[in-house]
Amino acid sequence: MSGIYIHIPFCKSKCTYCDFASYPKEVSKKEAYFACLYREIEGRGIQCRGKTFDTVYIGGGTPSFVPAKFITGALKQIRKCFTLSENPEITVEINPGTLDREKAEAYFDAGINRFSIGLQTGYDEQLKRLNRIHTAKDFLLCCNLLKGRNISADILIGLADQTAEQVKKTIDLALAGGVSHISVYALTPEPGTPIYTDYLNGALPSDDETADLYDAAANYLKEKGFYRYEVSNFAKKGFESRHNLNYWRRGEYIGAGVSASSFMDGRRFTNTYNIDEYMNAVIVNKFPEISSEKIEGDDAEFEFIMLGLRTFEGISAKKFSELFGHDFFEKYKSQIAKKSAFLDINGDNVRIKDKYLYVQNDIILEFMR
Amino acid sequence: MAINRKNIRNFCIVAHIDHGKSTLADRLMEKTGQVSERDMEDQLLDSMDLERERGITIKLTPVRMFYKAKDGEEYVFNLIDTPGHVDFSYEVSRSLRACEGAILIVDATQGVQAQTLANAYLAIDNDLEILPVINKIDLASARPDETAEEIENILGVDASDAPRISAKSGLNIEEVLESVVKKIPAPRGDETAPLKALIFDSFYDNFKGVICFVRLMDGTVRVGDEITAFMTTKRFTVTEVGVFSPKMTPVHQLSAGEVGYIAASVKSIEDTAVGDTITSADNPAKEPLPGYKKALPMVFSGVFPLDGSKYGDLKDALLKLKLNDAALSIEPDNSVALGFGFRCGFLGLLHMDVIQERIEREFDLDIITTAPSVSYKVYKTDGTELMVENPTHLPPMTEIAYMEEPVIDANIFTPPEYVGPIMELCQYKRGVYKNMTYLDKTRVELRYVLPLNEIIYDFFDSLKSRTKGYASFDYEIKGYEKSDLVKLDMLLNGEICDALSIIVHKDKAYERGRQIAEKLKEVIPRQMFEIPIQAAVGGKIIARETVKAYRKDVLAKCYGGDVTRKKKLLEKQKEGKKKMRSIGTVEIPSEAFISILKTDSDK
Repeated sequence: MSGIYIHIPFCKSKCTYCDFASYPKEVSKKEAYFACLYREIEGRGIQCRGKTFDTVYIGGGTPSFVPAKFITGALKQIRKCFTLSENPEITVEINPGTLDREKAEAYFDAGINRFSIGLQTGYDEQLKRLNRIHTAKDFLLCCNLLKGRNISADILIGLADQTAEQVKKTIDLALAGGVSHISVYALTPEPGTPIYTDYLNGALPSDDETADLYDAAANYLKEKGFYRYEVSNFAKKGFESRHNLNYWRRGEYIGAGVSASSFMDGRRFTNTYNIDEYMNAVIVNKFPEISSEKIEGDDAEFEFIMLGLRTFEGISAKKFSELFGHDFFEKYKSQIAKKSAFLDINGDNVRIKDKYLYVQNDIILEFMR
Repeated sequence: MAINRKNIRNFCIVAHIDHGKSTLADRLMEKTGQVSERDMEDQLLDSMDLERERGITIKLTPVRMFYKAKDGEEYVFNLIDTPGHVDFSYEVSRSLRACEGAILIVDATQGVQAQTLANAYLAIDNDLEILPVINKIDLASARPDETAEEIENILGVDASDAPRISAKSGLNIEEVLESVVKKIPAPRGDETAPLKALIFDSFYDNFKGVICFVRLMDGTVRVGDEITAFMTTKRFTVTEVGVFSPKMTPVHQLSAGEVGYIAASVKSIEDTAVGDTITSADNPAKEPLPGYKKALPMVFSGVFPLDGSKYGDLKDALLKLKLNDAALSIEPDNSVALGFGFRCGFLGLLHMDVIQERIEREFDLDIITTAPSVSYKVYKTDGTELMVENPTHLPPMTEIAYMEEPVIDANIFTPPEYVGPIMELCQYKRGVYKNMTYLDKTRVELRYVLPLNEIIYDFFDSLKSRTKGYASFDYEIKGYEKSDLVKLDMLLNGEICDALSIIVHKDKAYERGRQIAEKLKEVIPRQMFEIPIQAAVGGKIIARETVKAYRKDVLAKCYGGDVTRKKKLLEKQKEGKKKMRSIGTVEIPSEAFISILKTDSDK
């Protein structure tokens, strides 16, 4: 199975932790951008001829910030240019401050069936500090518009002065909104973002404190019937994100739009982050890629292991040998032996024990050549 | 062109560290046209990268210069640079033997300092003519008159007409050159007598074999001559003779009084030991020149490749370094924790540091060094006796009747106001007070007998910090004394890590054990499980620390667009791990082994 990713690089304003391709000042270019995006989708469709796609993910930026016609237009174009499976998962990212009834209806009509809402925290003062444009109440209003649909919420841990109690209350808020999927991300201060200054000033929690918040979230979510199917992702059974699972299974995906990445026919490639550069390339029928790399041999195997071990399902040795032509247990005998205390091995399945999921880099690194 | 011996001047420059020795040498070369100003790279003599970075001179580097003096005659100057640090004082005395005079350079802003004193005495001991030079007079804080007075009062050297210069700006350099001509005597010697050439340094050249740096005392030597040396029975045919200008330049012949080099396809450094006298094979001199005291390694440390498969490369590197560093001793060693490596002997800690850095830079090898140790005499209950320089080789305590450790006679020179702190330090280091002499109003000499194993930790650093750098320190090995010593083991995750074991005095075992455990806790990064660190003497745990397990070491997100970037992050993390060594299940950074040294601070 394969996925399609569409990037919308527009936002009302930039959050303090954001280092994604999102340009609030270039919103005026949206008409031109979407014209180009449709064009790229057409090209990508030709590139992917013969393949069937099972998921579409429209992310950003803030897809819900632009008028609904652009988003539904993109979906229409995708359906025209790609072969989708019978029952595709189609997700759109939503900022609670940007959705209205009209937009929601348009999304439903276009076949969008999964809504990923950026809640981040249930505390207004924290939202303000992060330069979010919405309140906790906006989140509930937004959920109300999506009532009965498949909703996910993103929440952040590792905020300044954040307590375990606050994390739990935020989860409660998400549950009140009716979500069936929650992503719990540790804030990662990237150089160049405003929040990096907080990080340098020591205003953010330490790794140990963040780990405490993470444990609090994971335990609480378990209580509430959400299982952890990936390091940062929790869902009720059957509500896992198919689109994201495909990434961790090292499935193929094609991206369109500024900064979108793809993995297709063993090659990873990424589009430019610059809107003008992007449009200039697409206008002359060129793919706006800025990097491309063929992934082979040990490198490919490492990706498979590193991505697979993030998940609850782990990696299948059978699938490994189908993909790479040799036996996983044989090739990584010494590495597995060295890290066996941290692994659950059941028949052909290998996964990281729950307890060590949050300290998994050391295990993964063992498999890097 | 034969050089008239009366126009030769052989001299060195001695100074306290940073008083401008290398800068003056550069200036002299520039003024004599040895190097054009354009080609002048700062401080030519310090040719090793390491020397230049640290601003210290380690190896001897002779240079030949021509100078047309005001008397109308042309002179040949041979300048032999000398190292400044106490670890290398044996090299200083080596170069002094090859000279008739020494320029004593003193910083006019600081006056006479400890190393000025020590080096000046060395030069005086070697019967050299001392030529004082007052440097840095262009600085606002310069006190040239007082400095001259100090030189006269403290050293008893006439400084009334000492050149006052700025080596940096080139001011009054001519005066120095003229003083060299006028004050430093021409070498004595007999060109017609049998060859006597003192080897004061050597190094190995891949094409020419061993290159000996020599000072000819008598006779001449030219290509084709058959030569031998007093410490060998072998004969060699001279393939090249030359001088340093400053690069090695072949010449027709070298005669009595000259400084230069001899190559004779000598394959083994043992055949041309530094300090030995080269003579003619067919017409040998009756007796050799007085040799040097052989420099004995005093500090021993394990050197292991970080990557076990690089053992062969490490061996090659050490053998090559040993070629021009007779003081370095090497012996194969192996450790349960670190695998195969070498036990190396060094003159002191700086020497050890320098060798380690040269291995890493010049041979591009990552190494792990263990805490330095000295050589102990162990008397066993069965009446046998053995030398132990590796704590791992210490027999079980039950088999040991008693042990002896090396002690030194230490001379410490200091301004009187620091006598108190120094005595405190020596006390702490188990020193035995001998006496104290007031050399003058501003100089005191303190004499102590100190165990060498206390010196190799951080004695220099402590001495410097307690005296704001004013005290200097010199020592000689006195011999062995009985001592109550024990082996201190460190346990990681319950297992003894042999590479961390040290031998300490019984009274210090508890304190050191605790300090090392604390230090290890600092340097060992948190890992997937908790790591107990314990110090033990004879199976009894005397200290304990714990490295907590880490809680978060994960990529927070990894989606389609992240894979490549996150892989790079992991690669970086992997690079960091490569600097670690696995001891059982525990990963230890390579610097941990040496860092246990740095626990012994002023507490």
